[in-house]
Amino acid sequence: MPFTDIAVAIQISLIYFTIIYLTGLGGLFSERSGIVNIGLEGLMVIGTVTGAFGARFFTDTLELGLPWGPVLGLLFGALCGAVFAGVHAVATISFRVDHIVSGVVINLAAIGVARFLSQMFFDGQSTQSDPGGPHLTEIDIPGLSSIGGGVGRAFQNLSPIVFVAALMVIPVWYVLNRTRWGLRLRSCGENPEATRSLGVSVPLYRYQGVMLSGAFAGMSGAFLASEIIGNWREGQTLGLGFISLAALILSNWNPIRLMFFAWLFGFTVAIPLRLDEAPVINLLPPQFINMIPYFVTIVAIAGFVGRVRPPAAAGKAYEGGGGT
Amino acid sequence: MAVESPPVLERPVDVPEARPEWVERFVGQLLALLASLAIAIVLGSVLIVAYGENPLQVYSSIIDGSLGSVDGFGYVLSIATPLIFSALAVCVCFKGGMFNIGVEGQYLVAMVTASWAALELDFLPGPLLVVAILIAAMLGGMAWAAIPGILKVKTGAHEVVTTIMLNLVAVSLLAWAINFPLKFTVRPEGQNVDLRTDLFSQKGLIGDIGQFFGVTPGAHLSWLLFVAIAAAIVVWFLLRRTRLGYEARAVGSSPGSARSGGVLIGSIQLRLFLISGALAGLVGMQQILADKGYLGQAYQTQLGFTGIAVAFLGQNNPIGIIFAAILWGILSRGEVSLQIGSEVPREFIIILQSILILTVVIVYQIAKRRLAARQLQRAGAAGALEDSASPGESAGPRGPESAAAEAFEPADDTGN
Repeated sequence: MPFTDIAVAIQISLIYFTIIYLTGLGGLFSERSGIVNIGLEGLMVIGTVTGAFGARFFTDTLELGLPWGPVLGLLFGALCGAVFAGVHAVATISFRVDHIVSGVVINLAAIGVARFLSQMFFDGQSTQSDPGGPHLTEIDIPGLSSIGGGVGRAFQNLSPIVFVAALMVIPVWYVLNRTRWGLRLRSCGENPEATRSLGVSVPLYRYQGVMLSGAFAGMSGAFLASEIIGNWREGQTLGLGFISLAALILSNWNPIRLMFFAWLFGFTVAIPLRLDEAPVINLLPPQFINMIPYFVTIVAIAGFVGRVRPPAAAGKAYEGGGGT
Repeated sequence: MAVESPPVLERPVDVPEARPEWVERFVGQLLALLASLAIAIVLGSVLIVAYGENPLQVYSSIIDGSLGSVDGFGYVLSIATPLIFSALAVCVCFKGGMFNIGVEGQYLVAMVTASWAALELDFLPGPLLVVAILIAAMLGGMAWAAIPGILKVKTGAHEVVTTIMLNLVAVSLLAWAINFPLKFTVRPEGQNVDLRTDLFSQKGLIGDIGQFFGVTPGAHLSWLLFVAIAAAIVVWFLLRRTRLGYEARAVGSSPGSARSGGVLIGSIQLRLFLISGALAGLVGMQQILADKGYLGQAYQTQLGFTGIAVAFLGQNNPIGIIFAAILWGILSRGEVSLQIGSEVPREFIIILQSILILTVVIVYQIAKRRLAARQLQRAGAAGALEDSASPGESAGPRGPESAAAEAFEPADDTGN
């Protein structure tokens, strides 16, 4: 099997790492504040449709040109994701709807909202937009991309957002572990009663956590649609929101470990796309190769779930601080 | 005698005056549904006005297309049939505090096993073949539901994540089945041939009942509708009148007390998953046995996810689910007349359905809390005094709805 295939698979895995890592960070903020968010997939869907629209709108309609148009498109996706996550926040925090129920509803509603938005944004096309939307110029990783023997191929032609996502670990880790805001957010997820007794508004922090999760998931969706695929298509998230959730659980809600698991799951997604000719794998029918990422996720979840510790108060209705 | 005794004694006197609890619950549920419907309609009207159309006209064209004619209502019932199975499957798990988001995958796998039975057991006489196909479908659904059930019980893997992954696996499995083992042997006529199985023999198909009511055959209204209604009654009986149902509700509303009460939680959860899978297996039968007569690439998807919405709408009550599925069918059917009758895009219906589900979940939660608060108020005189001393704090740890899975089931001690 040609060596370049492995290199290309690694390149693809880095792209999917970006999607899974950004969405996973979203889940991290939400769950660390005590709100389980299984609506990540739906929030990503909102990000895909608004991000694809935003990239076109800012680049072509407002004629902002290349660096700024796509960047604003990504931010627009993030903004819309945050707004949509607000629904989850209102339901779970203010009305104390069960977190899973609300998350499921978010996923269901997102499909309809996305079609509706697409219909408005893309001249009546409700399930996809025109291909070939604007995206940021791809760059090579200096140094790594010039390794010979085909290996360098893995680190060429990557969206700059891949680096942004990878570097995101630094501010996220710092904010969560070294700032007052991060400490309070985490304590809302561990012991809301104690947090409240210190005069901290638990609902306020939880709102921020959930909205942030929407922003990250929305940006991740926008990245997928506009930077990778080039247009919006219904169903293009392919369960990546749930895979991100699995990566988050395996990482034990830790942004640094999440990097590794996001890459690992990203690599399993790359297998059917590029390594379907590899030895052993090529014995399977193509439909079975497509199942690999999902099987890996199930096995990983089943094997690790007992060994990690979620935030203590995550998923529980919190009755205090009723003045919201 | 303490000084506080007069108010203590007064309270129990209130109780007989109150309406029976089931009446209160029923009225509460109905009011909650109507309130959510009203809110959704008002929010929808805002959107319609934004499109520059008249909301009354749009809504009347939706009603007209679905309830205005016999054919229209036939379509509505035909849309509702698979949704009843799907929502029942969700409801059974939900009562046990679990989420079967995997109905989608379970019915895909069931369509594969049912198609296998339809093609391989062809030698059976007519009615027997239909029964064999339906059983094969239920077994297929059960097998696929057993995986998340076992994983949950044995490893604690959350069923939401595993079922979603299994849904995606099922899509590939179905694609493989119609590409290899079940691929047609007789090539269908025409230029662009869809990948599909051979046609099932006529005796294995499910008969149209629309003709008896003057509904067009195009609606594919079949006697599966009666099977769906019967299934709802069976599920109601199972949940309300059997030991399994009682234990399931105990596990769903308070796993801790269920365990101390000697209920084997894992066994209950696994059994619920299997029942749920069997129901999910029947979701796809309308399309392959009543409509198409084969399993092809262009199968109808999303029925499992819509079932979740319908289950919420029917408040996870098997009988309520029948009406919720019909309501959903009315809206879905309205899409067609909407497209003909106005400038509002058909996606408006999906938005209306999404808004309805969001408001339903929130309004039910508010209604449930109020009901629970009222029951708490009535529950005991001594407790009532304590509560009034510190209303804010007392709701917390003792709140009757602290178990998350109880979400739609108000504290329930009637009926058994």
